[in-house]
Amino acid sequence: MIEFQNVSFAYEKKEYVLHDMSFRIEKGESVGLIGANGAGKSTIMKLLLGLLQGEGKILIDGIEVKKDTLGEIRAKLGFVLQNSDNQMFMPTVYEDMIFGPLNYGLSREVVDQRVDEVLKRLDLEYLKHRYNHKISGGEKRMGAIATILAMEPQAILMDEPTSALDPFNRRLVINTIRELDQTKLIASHDLDMILDTCDRVILISGGRIAADGPAKEILSNKDLLEANRMELPLSMMGKK
Amino acid sequence: MHMADALLAPAVAATMYVASASAAGVSIHQLKKDDEPQKLPVMAVTSALVFAGQMINYTIPGTGSSGHMCGGMMLSALLGPYAGFLSMIVILAIQCLFFADGGLMALGANCWNMAFYGCFVGYFLIWRPIMNGKWFGEGKSAERGRIIAASIIGCIITLQLGAFSVVLETSLSGITELPFGAFCALMQPIHLAIGLVEGLITAAVLVFVYNSRPELLQGVDLSGEGEPKRSLKSVVTILAIVALVVGGGLSLLASSNPDGLEWALFGNEDGGYSTNMGLDEENFGVSSGAADTAGSIQEKTSFLPDYAFPGSESPAGTTVSGIVGSAIVAGVAILICFIGGFFRKRKTQTE
Amino acid sequence: MNKMQKALHELSEMDELAARQSPIHSLHPAAKLITTIVYILITLSFDKYDLSGLVPMVLWPVIMFQVSGVDVHTCFYKLRIVLPLVMAVGLFNPFFDKEIMVTIGGVGISGGVISMITLMLKGVFCLMMSFLLMATTKIDSLCAALRKLHVPAMLVSLLQLTYRYVGVMTEELAVMTEAYSLRAPGQKGIHVSAWGSFLGQLLLRSMDRAQELFSSMMLRGYHEHFHYADIRPFNIKDALFMGLCIAFFFLLRYADIAQLIGGLFVR
Repeated sequence: MIEFQNVSFAYEKKEYVLHDMSFRIEKGESVGLIGANGAGKSTIMKLLLGLLQGEGKILIDGIEVKKDTLGEIRAKLGFVLQNSDNQMFMPTVYEDMIFGPLNYGLSREVVDQRVDEVLKRLDLEYLKHRYNHKISGGEKRMGAIATILAMEPQAILMDEPTSALDPFNRRLVINTIRELDQTKLIASHDLDMILDTCDRVILISGGRIAADGPAKEILSNKDLLEANRMELPLSMMGKK
Repeated sequence: MHMADALLAPAVAATMYVASASAAGVSIHQLKKDDEPQKLPVMAVTSALVFAGQMINYTIPGTGSSGHMCGGMMLSALLGPYAGFLSMIVILAIQCLFFADGGLMALGANCWNMAFYGCFVGYFLIWRPIMNGKWFGEGKSAERGRIIAASIIGCIITLQLGAFSVVLETSLSGITELPFGAFCALMQPIHLAIGLVEGLITAAVLVFVYNSRPELLQGVDLSGEGEPKRSLKSVVTILAIVALVVGGGLSLLASSNPDGLEWALFGNEDGGYSTNMGLDEENFGVSSGAADTAGSIQEKTSFLPDYAFPGSESPAGTTVSGIVGSAIVAGVAILICFIGGFFRKRKTQTE
Repeated sequence: MNKMQKALHELSEMDELAARQSPIHSLHPAAKLITTIVYILITLSFDKYDLSGLVPMVLWPVIMFQVSGVDVHTCFYKLRIVLPLVMAVGLFNPFFDKEIMVTIGGVGISGGVISMITLMLKGVFCLMMSFLLMATTKIDSLCAALRKLHVPAMLVSLLQLTYRYVGVMTEELAVMTEAYSLRAPGQKGIHVSAWGSFLGQLLLRSMDRAQELFSSMMLRGYHEHFHYADIRPFNIKDALFMGLCIAFFFLLRYADIAQLIGGLFVR
């Protein structure tokens, strides 16, 4: 579904932030992308979405990410931003949810039906006509996820989906993520959440892949994590 | 400087609507032609920022009062004249709709007075010529000098134009019995001071932006990597001259309060803008030095608390000379802080 | 509370008022907008000495307040911005225009006094109607109406997008102001040394925010169009409301009701 082939990237042609990176994510996998601040997680996301152009090849569902394939690529990918305020720019949740699908040429009836389905699935019907500037942080995050689901993407990318949420909302978001059957790539420092939602983890350090493997294995390797400026998830402490 | 509905006759209000709408039409046309889809979110976020930024109190050194900014020049320097104008319209519309600042029918006039001059006159006749010009020589500090000069000159001139339009529109509407000349004499000098403060705030913000992300500013020469050859002395000299001229005008008046239209008629109070807005009967009087120049008003308006600044703590504030004196001190203080800040910034830059 | 927090409070207050239910709230926004504009124009068109003609115009806002159930108190709070300004301009009139126009019980009232009162009333009336419009109409319904009235889509979308971020930015500045004042006790405002950086820092962050916002738009296929929820069509009820109102305003404008009623009692 997602494939990086020898991808490198440098901002303003000075220092490389990604070095010759290659990995492959199969359809239906959920992968956690972890690494210290500045390791290159968001750069990977932006390259995938075609917001940045680097060297090497990136394939989404067999299509190379290039200027003229952007429309096609972006229709397949849903990106949940870290700051939901930046994602939810329309007046109401409903208007945000129809924004994407209508832009991709679907009819209003189809879109309305989709919106209702998604809201029902996430138990968010009460949010439909609420103003984005009047809802809570947790509601905004759930709304942002709903906005992306309404586009029916094949893969969902998330940047810190649980940041700044209280435990209840965090759990809500985690449960929602677990129930999604799309391919998932989740960048986060919340390793417990990664453990809860992902089967596989890619650990990035200094623009290179430091480890790639089953989540349980990597997230229980104290030495590996600490060498890369991370620490054991709480739920892994005391085990072993 | 927000006009209220009641100050306008329908014909004047309509004329101003047509004028502002035409300018908006041109702006929309230009923006569509440029076809930069990222401009809209940038405009929205910037206007939201300026809207909020107008509420910041800036302490004016040496006066104990505070200044504000309105943002027309800043928007046009950041977004260009067309996008800046539209952003300003939106800000004024939100203020009028949600805060009753201005009025539904006065919106056209307000857009003209505050947005048109700031964005179009400010950009095409002041910002662009100065930024493209050769003032202060070459290099980064010269560029900074140009930004500062353009901001201050731009704000002063556009506020003068705006204030004059307020007088013109009100007089044409036949609302006030105040003679045209006297009204002008009341409004213009106050807006000179406000313009200077706004100019200094705008300059400070734009220089900060220039130092960190110069590409965000319109018409800035990004190739000028070579560090200054001379310039600092000339920057300071020219600025000093500008400030002296302005300060001279300012001293006629001694105002340092943000919103001159209200201030002119209500007097300055240290508490600042919001407390001024209450109907404070005691402070109810014209108290600008400009009223003095319009001697005829003074004669007739004998209820004035003879020239004292209501609420002013300064004992010198009771005489005209005291007012002029404190204004000069204020002007000099601003200048000193300003030049000092300029040097400090330079120092940290070169280190 | 600092000024930004007050502004946020005022914004959300208007939002809440507009979200209520009443016969006025349920009218089509375009009908309300046009009625309000006509009302303001007619109010402004009264001659500066035509006090008796102007006074009956108060009837309409009073009726509207009653029917919509909106609190007058909130409205008068907003008067604090407009009224001083209008009064201040009007206050000069009695000093320049001293010709006696009416004598009541031996006390002469000059033209200046009358024109001053007229001006103030105009200020209050116009504000009340603008306030009523916003207190009974949601901002997005109003924007939908503007679009229907052929205001350029770019401007209306910009208004809505800006409105969405006004709260976000104001809140951010409110927090910054609080943080600043905690570290600078006794300062009334931003010290001159921070004039540039205070707003400048936020400006730079805002530009990144705008970039991210644009990315989010692009990723969802944005090209030039925003799609909004539909508002209900303009129906006969709205037309009736608009027609009756405007007819009523013109009646008030051209038939001097106050004079007529007064004529019944005074000879």
